[in-house]
Amino acid sequence: MATREAGKKMIMLKSPDGMEFEVEEAVAMESQTIRKMIEDDCADTAILIPNINSKILSRVIEYCNKHVPTTGATGAAASDTVAPAALAEDLKIWDAEFIKVNRATRFDLIQAASYLNIKGLLDLTSQTTIDTISDNSLEEIRSFLSTKNDYLPEEEQTIRRENQWAFQ
Amino acid sequence: MLPGIAPETPGLSDGAGALELLYASFPVSPVSTFPSLCCAAADGDKTDRVSRLPEDVLRRVVSLLPAKDGARTTVLSSRWRGLWHSAPLVLVDTHLLPGGAAGVRPARARAGAVSRFVSAALEAHPGPFPFASFTCSFLDGAHRRVLARWFQLLATKGVKQLIFANRPAPLPGLRLPSSLFSCPYLRRLWICAWVFPETATLPRGAGFPNLRELVLGRTVMEDKDLEFVLGVSPVLEILVVAGSETRLHACLASPSLRCAQLCLSALDEVAVVDAPSLERLFLISGMTKMSTTVKIGHAPKLRLLGYLEPGMHIMQIGNTIIKAGTKASASTTVSSVQMLALQLHFGVPGEIKMLPSFLRCFPSVETLIVQSMDTSGPATKLSVKFRQGTSPIECVQSQLKTLFFRELQGHRGEFHFLTFIAENAQKLERMYIWVKEDLSYPAKVSMGAKLRALESANWASRDCKMLFRTSKFPGGGTPFNLAMGVDLSFADPFFCH
Repeated sequence: MATREAGKKMIMLKSPDGMEFEVEEAVAMESQTIRKMIEDDCADTAILIPNINSKILSRVIEYCNKHVPTTGATGAAASDTVAPAALAEDLKIWDAEFIKVNRATRFDLIQAASYLNIKGLLDLTSQTTIDTISDNSLEEIRSFLSTKNDYLPEEEQTIRRENQWAFQ
Repeated sequence: MLPGIAPETPGLSDGAGALELLYASFPVSPVSTFPSLCCAAADGDKTDRVSRLPEDVLRRVVSLLPAKDGARTTVLSSRWRGLWHSAPLVLVDTHLLPGGAAGVRPARARAGAVSRFVSAALEAHPGPFPFASFTCSFLDGAHRRVLARWFQLLATKGVKQLIFANRPAPLPGLRLPSSLFSCPYLRRLWICAWVFPETATLPRGAGFPNLRELVLGRTVMEDKDLEFVLGVSPVLEILVVAGSETRLHACLASPSLRCAQLCLSALDEVAVVDAPSLERLFLISGMTKMSTTVKIGHAPKLRLLGYLEPGMHIMQIGNTIIKAGTKASASTTVSSVQMLALQLHFGVPGEIKMLPSFLRCFPSVETLIVQSMDTSGPATKLSVKFRQGTSPIECVQSQLKTLFFRELQGHRGEFHFLTFIAENAQKLERMYIWVKEDLSYPAKVSMGAKLRALESANWASRDCKMLFRTSKFPGGGTPFNLAMGVDLSFADPFFCH
């Protein structure tokens, strides 16, 4: 959890299961939803994040902490000292580790990213989902996604015909 | 980033070479056919969580899929049926190849199938197309209708970024459809190996109100085409003309243009007529050795300029043609230029005579890059001493902080120049010297002695550091790539570090 540092404004986030997380305002504002609340002055005490349990919320905060543009003591962006490409590469590796989670957690993370409107996390979680779809047979995809085919055979045939090029 | 490319390499600066360069530089699609992330293995959890996600999240997932995978999700279940059609589509023709060949441009025999898939996808999806890249097709006179239909669909369904390359070369008589100019949402446009569309019959108002980046690669066009496209693109910031198939008088007049790169093209003239926002101008002549007039008119923000060639370029500032001995005055100088790159043949007397006049045109240069070119023929034996003339050269005297001298061959003329800089540049902080890689042993020995003599010259700046190394570009030549022209934040466009 973040520790209070001189000059940095802190925000309290509360999960529905009663856990409280104190985070730097800049980290919390990685979420466009929270940013809006702060900017609209709805955040003087603590912000209750509905529907996101403490386990998922702590992971989301972990993600935001890693991705917030860091500033050094002088206020200069850290990317002044580290090559931006190297930094981006480092983040990519970190992301790939971060998202190695079970399906339920991934699903919860997508929903959290969607609700909190965190573009980077939404991209990351969406990407993991599409990686299961790319280049696999429909049956494999259905099985990966646990999606049940609810079409009648003739319905499915019609839809296939509409996009025949995609099945060649 | 691409490695530097030496256009001196035979064969590279012809059209095919420019095409290779373009292929290597095409913008990367936001959608990939290669899984980039590893998911945890299936864990026996059989709940269909994904289908229960909110509609906008699912749409986002679908929009990240290659076109074929995306279209196939319509068959997964009724929940997925309408998603692909309602999500923006990234359409990349190299993703459409059957089997495992995705990402590779197929031979002519298989490219026809790809063109048919492109047609089908463009018809099936209602748009918008944030990114469309068609670089596989071999389109000829028999495909006029296909071509017209593609552009009709791209225009009406809203394409934002378009990379459109024909193979193997532009076909005389087969123009791009004029409906290209009816794609109002275009922000980025790369045209490669095409004949420029007919512009005479366009309706008023046709143009690119949102176009920011335009790359014309190996395009057959006329001077008026370039003027036209600049005229109808009011927010254009980046222009690249690479390997133009026709000789051009390139007239740059644009209120918004920030970076222009003209490379491997036959240019009679490059005229920066009125470019109040232009910051970077790159000229890379490659093998096309022809005399080019470089006119600088109104360009108050021009900071980076290169590679000027005192041998091939005729400089004109405002109305004055710069000659050997032209005196510097407000009307013959461009005082905004801070970084200047030059290509010089130190064995060619005419070039060395012009050099002081070229330097006088740019009194504020702090970083100077000199690329020493191989001199062949009898001129090599000649030694022309670099003389600054009667008046001092302002940028050398009072501005120059860094000199990069590349491909030092040991020519006496080179050392005259280096000694001149050492003895006159009062603010010089760093002199980087890259020694040509493939020198003979005796040449290296003689080089060592000359460098020691340079070191013990009477330096005008006491704190200047000299740094040597062997050239990192084997074979010499001028390092450059398209990215330096396309990316405004490219910090080292002349590949000095």
